[in-house]
Amino acid sequence: MRGIVGLITMAMVALLLRSTALSTLAAKGLVLDVLAFATVVWAFRAGETWGSSFGFVIGLAADLDAAHWLGRHALLLSLMGYAVGRLSRTLVRDSARTQFVIILLATLVHQLWSAAFEFSGLAGWPYLALRVVVASAATAAAGTVLLGIVRRVLGQPLFGHAVLKSNTSS
Amino acid sequence: MGGFLPPAERRSSALLGLYAALSLVLLMTGERIPQSWLRAGGAFVFAPFDRVVLTADRVAAAWRDNQQLQQHLAELEVENERLRVAGVENQRLRQQLALPTLHGYALKPVEVLALSGEAVPAAATLSAGTHQGVREGDAVVTAEGLLGRVGESYSGMSRVVLLTDLNSAVACEVESTGVLGVLRFSMAPRPRLVLTGVPLADTVRVGQQVITSGLSRRYPRGLPVGRVVRLAKDPSGLVQDIEVDAAARLSRVRQAFVIARPPALEDHP
Repeated sequence: MRGIVGLITMAMVALLLRSTALSTLAAKGLVLDVLAFATVVWAFRAGETWGSSFGFVIGLAADLDAAHWLGRHALLLSLMGYAVGRLSRTLVRDSARTQFVIILLATLVHQLWSAAFEFSGLAGWPYLALRVVVASAATAAAGTVLLGIVRRVLGQPLFGHAVLKSNTSS
Repeated sequence: MGGFLPPAERRSSALLGLYAALSLVLLMTGERIPQSWLRAGGAFVFAPFDRVVLTADRVAAAWRDNQQLQQHLAELEVENERLRVAGVENQRLRQQLALPTLHGYALKPVEVLALSGEAVPAAATLSAGTHQGVREGDAVVTAEGLLGRVGESYSGMSRVVLLTDLNSAVACEVESTGVLGVLRFSMAPRPRLVLTGVPLADTVRVGQQVITSGLSRRYPRGLPVGRVVRLAKDPSGLVQDIEVDAAARLSRVRQAFVIARPPALEDHP
């Protein structure tokens, strides 16, 4: 029950951020991919089962919000949640470098997937490519800094030991 | 194959399979599912939270806006007086030429609760809906210019299809020359508003203002849309490629005004 409440709360916070503060930044050309970031964090924290569930829920909500193909974000984010959750067992999840690389890769994949649906001809690919690269780098940098700040404020590791945690969560 | 995996992993794999299958089914059949009521539910749930998140930002912005508005008000008072005189003269001249009288717009103030869309916002959620008299098809403007058109209206809120939606089309004219075209949003080679369908023979200059023409009967005539910022020849060689900078700033939109859609042609005698 606690997991479901946490999942819904984090999904709502991410979607609110996406439709308010981050949409203003996106209009200025800087996309911070909060969907990919939140999915990675949740999969790190709770393993592949909750990671894929979180990805599916937040992806479906984002699909409904943007009024485009239903399932577009849901499919990729649920797969991403599962993959990151599985991968996190073998990673030092509290390492800033690990977080940076995983968030960077997750955002890159998600942005490439989104861009594939917007691709409308060769003339537009430089803009889409630039957006994908900038979004990946910006989200990875901002996400890693945010996780570092939260870790400092809490005074303890955010994700705990990988193997022990994944056994209890899945 | 699942039998080789521990039960917990089997469960998570099965769950992932279910999510993937559901997503694929939605991707293939989503167009046929009525999504309007689902989005209405989502908007209803998120609207109170959107208001809370935006309140802090708006309190800070209100003080700054107030100072700017005071100055703007003084300038407008002076301009208004000049326009009033011109308006009386215009009415008299139109009567002499037997042209129909122009009517003003009734502006309904609303709050923009949220913007949604990939990279460039394509839709906005407004704080007013059918209960406040906002109907589908109503035009939405800011103090600077046209924002879009109400696409869906619920009881207490509504969704606006912005100019930056790929399916948006606005019948426009270039002010002062009357050159007609249709404003569309294009993603290639970069996100931009383009005035389409303008023949090469028509003269358009950078800096000219683009306003709604009213020819589509979707928007009232004379709403500012933007300014011409770049001119080129379309790859087809038949028409001009006219890039327009929108008058309304999507990244700063907080308040907007709803204008009732023009009456249908059949309503006129």
